[in-house]
Amino acid sequence: MPVFESDICVIGGGISAALLAQRVSELKPGRSIVVVEAGDRLFDTEKRRQDRVRSLNYGENPWPGDFVEDQAAAGIISRTMAVGGSALHWGGVCNRFSAEDLRLKSMYGLATDWAIGWDELERFYCDAERVIGVSGEPSPLPQDRRSEPYPMPPMVLSWNLRQLKEWAEKSGIAFWSTPQAKNTVPYDGRSDCKRCNTCEICPTGARYSPDYTFKRLLASKAISLHDRTLVRRLVPADAGGKTPRIVSAQAVHRDRPDDPVEYRARLFVVAAGYCWSPHLLLSSSSSRFPTGLANGSGLVGRYMAGHSFISAQIELDAEIYPGMNEQHSLISREFFRCATDRPFVRHDLRVWESSAGRAPRLKDDRGRILLGDSVLADWRGRTKRGTARVRAYYDVHPSIDSTLTLDRTTTNRLGDPLPRITHNLDDATVARLPETKRHILDVFNRLARANNGKVLSTSEGTYLDHPAGGCRMGTRAGDSVCDSFGRTHDHENLFVVGSPTLPTAGCTNGTLTFAAVTLRSARAVADAL
Amino acid sequence: MRRRTLLQLLLSLAAALPARIKLWAQAPLLSEADKGRIRRVAEIVLPRELGDDGRERVVAAFFRWLQEYRAGAEMDHGYGFTRLRKTGPSPADKYPSQLDALYARAQASGGLAAMTEDARRAAIEAAVVEAKVERLPARPDGGHITTDLMAFYFNSVEATDLAYHAAIGRDLCRGLDGSENRPSTLPTGVR
Repeated sequence: MPVFESDICVIGGGISAALLAQRVSELKPGRSIVVVEAGDRLFDTEKRRQDRVRSLNYGENPWPGDFVEDQAAAGIISRTMAVGGSALHWGGVCNRFSAEDLRLKSMYGLATDWAIGWDELERFYCDAERVIGVSGEPSPLPQDRRSEPYPMPPMVLSWNLRQLKEWAEKSGIAFWSTPQAKNTVPYDGRSDCKRCNTCEICPTGARYSPDYTFKRLLASKAISLHDRTLVRRLVPADAGGKTPRIVSAQAVHRDRPDDPVEYRARLFVVAAGYCWSPHLLLSSSSSRFPTGLANGSGLVGRYMAGHSFISAQIELDAEIYPGMNEQHSLISREFFRCATDRPFVRHDLRVWESSAGRAPRLKDDRGRILLGDSVLADWRGRTKRGTARVRAYYDVHPSIDSTLTLDRTTTNRLGDPLPRITHNLDDATVARLPETKRHILDVFNRLARANNGKVLSTSEGTYLDHPAGGCRMGTRAGDSVCDSFGRTHDHENLFVVGSPTLPTAGCTNGTLTFAAVTLRSARAVADAL
Repeated sequence: MRRRTLLQLLLSLAAALPARIKLWAQAPLLSEADKGRIRRVAEIVLPRELGDDGRERVVAAFFRWLQEYRAGAEMDHGYGFTRLRKTGPSPADKYPSQLDALYARAQASGGLAAMTEDARRAAIEAAVVEAKVERLPARPDGGHITTDLMAFYFNSVEATDLAYHAAIGRDLCRGLDGSENRPSTLPTGVR
């Protein structure tokens, strides 16, 4: 059996793995780092451009081969499993959480407090913004104070967003340019944004993607990358009682499933995201650890978190040209804070240009079929007004029964049970949902009313976005899986980093926070070497 | 190598190809007659503002799109509600029979070419109703040749620019400079 030995074995190949490997290699140069990822490496940038065109023209997968057919999870948000992870195709939005997210229990008596203070996390936000490359406009709200400027100037507001900002601010709510991991000037060896409108597959490299980090680490020989290799279980030492060290990771290369591979390392870092990280710990069960590893608390695969959302399309008097920069948006953080003596509701607020109601159609309002000239005439008649898409991510908190479990009825080709994620909200969240939704719809109507607008439609999300949790951090071994650095309470040389460690998932995009806590973990990992 | 032996070798190689590649290779081509019939349909379902040259350019691009269609290709597997999907058979598979039905209907009135524009329009509308197509698809999907050709054109970057009389250039890599301004008006004659 092939055995690979290293100082650190990183399991998973997404943004957390990339940033952790990068930072540890900087802090401890010369130490051996092996990154093991089940998916493929999709590094061919010329092919990326071709795939983008096929995606636009034919609806084909913009990232062909970015999944492992038999490695699926019920309830997962994305099938992507490749070097780069979900951040291969993320939109690049880099919002921060706020201090309230870290103090929900002490401020509001809700959920739990994080084991990190805001001032410390804020420094790692700055760090993450530098490493990823974030362009942003500082929030005008004093509570959003930053200790460092954004690394790059904000994305210019397109004509459309300028019109929408003018419209939206008539409601009395301030909006500004959403910070993004997109270069507005050449940065870190990558191009500036060319406004291609397809950030999910950026053809220029302007939007950060973890594969750039991996390529650089490989070029400098800072890491070894073992792709197409699925880690099936971690193995604890025989010694150490209930808190042994981890001695190896057992894996198989997807092309040689009958030929196991073993990884031995001083430290193991599970950086496989909110789904596959708890899944690996649960899958590492044995007669000695029947509920899996790092699970003395019984909380591995518990408190699966995320945020809910409500969207609306609002018709308004504005000259909007759909397609100018569809993926860029305005943001307001005015509703991030909630007075402690008022009903709890927290959400972000985003505004995009939209083509809803402005697209060509086959039938007019009376159901008459339109052909040729009449399609164009009908379409032009509807371009006189514009449409805004608005969305609020709102804060919801998981119950302990928000779970990831091993579904023994569904297995991969190796016979390993696959994950099943079932989100459940805690009682307080459920009780306030009607009021939360009413508040958000009121905000949408307030926006619409401010300038002769009309809410065309509203819709509620059917899943929790930017999911996290499953290995939550905490100060006590009894109510958390790991400490604030991701070191598991039960195994001193086993870390979990990134999204799984979050106790709650905030009310805005999570990736920057996943990156910030990972960079913070990286220091502890390096110190542990 | 004798011709028969070479042919046998090529056939055996083709048989050994993965199914997905074979599916792509089997994308049917439209006959020249069918292409001609589609051009007549285009006169009704595409806007006159395109002019003859513009219409022919769109139709040629449509044929090219069909030619390069890959049946059985991976599709985007989604976000939030995720599942693996593949593209279906080429929409062109359905066009010959749809065109046959459309032209048979027109034949009763002397043939599509001989019909007045209103009559041709009525025949096409009847075909759309019969095909139960309710809206323009995002991309040609075989629902009906008439609506597929319309979807192909009207969902394009060019059609959006024409509708708005503006050089928006959606999905083109345009750079950030100047994007804070209203898109420039399309020059006269640009279609």
